[in-house]
Amino acid sequence: MNWYIIAALAALLICIISFAFQFFNLIKAGAPRDLSEKSGDLSGAILYSYTKAMMPKHKESAYLHMPTYAAGLIYHMGTFLSLALFVALLIFRFAGVEIPGIISLSIAVLLIITSLSGFGILLKRIVKKDLRYLSGPDDYISNLLTTMIQLLSALYLLFPATEPVYFVFAALLFLWMPVGKTKHVLYFFSARYHLGYFYGWRGTWPE
Amino acid sequence: MKNIDIQAKEKALDLLRDKSDTKLITHMNACVRCGLCADSCMYYLTFKEAKYIPAAKVAAVSSLYRRYCTFAGKVAPSLVNAKELNEEYAAEMVDLLFGSCTVCGRCVKHCSIGVDIAYVVKKGREMLATMDMVPATLQATVDAAINTGNNMAIPVEEFTDTIKWLEGDLIDEMENPEARIPLDEYDKELFYTLNPREPKFFPLSISAMAKVFYAAKASWTLSTKYYDVTNYGFFNSNTAEATQIAKNLYDEVHKLRGKKLILGECGHGSRANRWEGPNYLKKSYDFETLTAVELIGDYIRKGTITLDKSLNNEVFTIHDPCNLVRNGGMFKEIRFVVNSAVENLVEMNPYGNDNYCCGGGGGMLAMSEYNEGRLKTGKIKADQILATGAKVVITPCHNCVDQLLQLNHTYKMGVKIVTIAEIVADAIVKNNKNKTI
Repeated sequence: MNWYIIAALAALLICIISFAFQFFNLIKAGAPRDLSEKSGDLSGAILYSYTKAMMPKHKESAYLHMPTYAAGLIYHMGTFLSLALFVALLIFRFAGVEIPGIISLSIAVLLIITSLSGFGILLKRIVKKDLRYLSGPDDYISNLLTTMIQLLSALYLLFPATEPVYFVFAALLFLWMPVGKTKHVLYFFSARYHLGYFYGWRGTWPE
Repeated sequence: MKNIDIQAKEKALDLLRDKSDTKLITHMNACVRCGLCADSCMYYLTFKEAKYIPAAKVAAVSSLYRRYCTFAGKVAPSLVNAKELNEEYAAEMVDLLFGSCTVCGRCVKHCSIGVDIAYVVKKGREMLATMDMVPATLQATVDAAINTGNNMAIPVEEFTDTIKWLEGDLIDEMENPEARIPLDEYDKELFYTLNPREPKFFPLSISAMAKVFYAAKASWTLSTKYYDVTNYGFFNSNTAEATQIAKNLYDEVHKLRGKKLILGECGHGSRANRWEGPNYLKKSYDFETLTAVELIGDYIRKGTITLDKSLNNEVFTIHDPCNLVRNGGMFKEIRFVVNSAVENLVEMNPYGNDNYCCGGGGGMLAMSEYNEGRLKTGKIKADQILATGAKVVITPCHNCVDQLLQLNHTYKMGVKIVTIAEIVADAIVKNNKNKTI
């Protein structure tokens, strides 16, 4: 096995252990405790928080910023596709399975589009004064690594010779994920839960 | 610049180190600084400065969390946007978290992730309170409540005189000596509370609610010592002080053996007692806690009082207090009561759970050092009101009433500001006689 594949696998293991540890800490802390008298539909509100409340028409962060919202959606789809592809590519590589050309090409085209969304979001962060104010190294590193893994996944599918670069970037991403703001992959779900709980307990949600 | 005592600093940081608070851990790690919350904040919309973006307020606290509570923040702080807590940083936090945020939570509902920004701001305020850095004006309001039983330090004698005077007027108006405003009476069904602004500046709103109680033949009382529904400890985020204020009211309900605690028209006071109180005191309340709006709604539904909405025939609009509506679930109940009491209601845009804060929330009204910003940000509300064409603004919150009155003057809106009890009292008819009382 090549050194860069070993490095990527080791990084993945560290990433999984780190997220497992953070997840365990969240679970260990337990569910929110509220001693006031509940007034609303808690489970309905939590479900609402993950579903309807996420729809563009319910959030100013979406309906006032549709291009960014769309780019973000595409970008995140690309991220999840890249992560799934990483696992699939490893399995196929060791199993000696070749991905049919048309599938490789289709996925690569998709990933090039999603990575363009990522670069667009990065560019926005660099260009807009307000976003620059909010940003630190973490914001640029997180975006760059996540965008690059999408682009490199596409390139690897099209040009297998890029394999070392692909695995090195994957390793960097896996090491960064539980450290940088990329860890919102875990805390996003927890935040939506807490939001649903808060509004549900008081009867504000579901709307 | 105030020097921070090392022990106080450590105590403040300990608030972030609490590993048992899943909500804290979540919201310290969830913000991605996308900045899309900017347009949901009245401070950003007014001043267009990046420091007012809600994400920047989250960062003011989460940067400290990363620095002191995460491995990466300890070994490579600059890489993960981790910051050191020092005098300068804490002073910036004061202006940002106390002076530039009404904790209205509008950004929370619209956050792309779901970060409870208001919760994070309050956590930051709690840290500042631990370091004795609450703005002096806000702290004075809290101190008054703790030392005298009400945030305006109204002496018991003055309060009693005001209530007796109002009771006399009520007897005259109702032409019935049994029309009463009971004080310190035991075993009553309802223990009613007031915002101290009422006896001090708006006694007619007490009369209005007394009229509602009279029409409903309610068994009720006020306490002469602990009638204050407000809890500015909720705003300065000093948990010990907030707990003491909540406990004073809790104990008084027990002392007078009230069956239900009725929260007068005050947004944060309702929140602090209905939702936060049991958590401050770490026990569930053994009596029912209802807002005045819910009580009136109940009266209307059960036919205990009858309203004639034609008696309120001007154009009305509602200002939704953030702590009663978005953070209190009262959206539908307020509409039910208002629609039962007025003929012509025009909603603001946006309204309900999306409504803008009046600008006076978060303790802003108590902090005179931030008056200029409060009135400037309030222009958003003034413009909303003017756009409705309404002549009367209804709001079930005396803090909001105060801010709206100031906006009315500043922006020459020419509207009348009333509470829900006032419009309901104006619409009450004697059952089956179609005669106003």
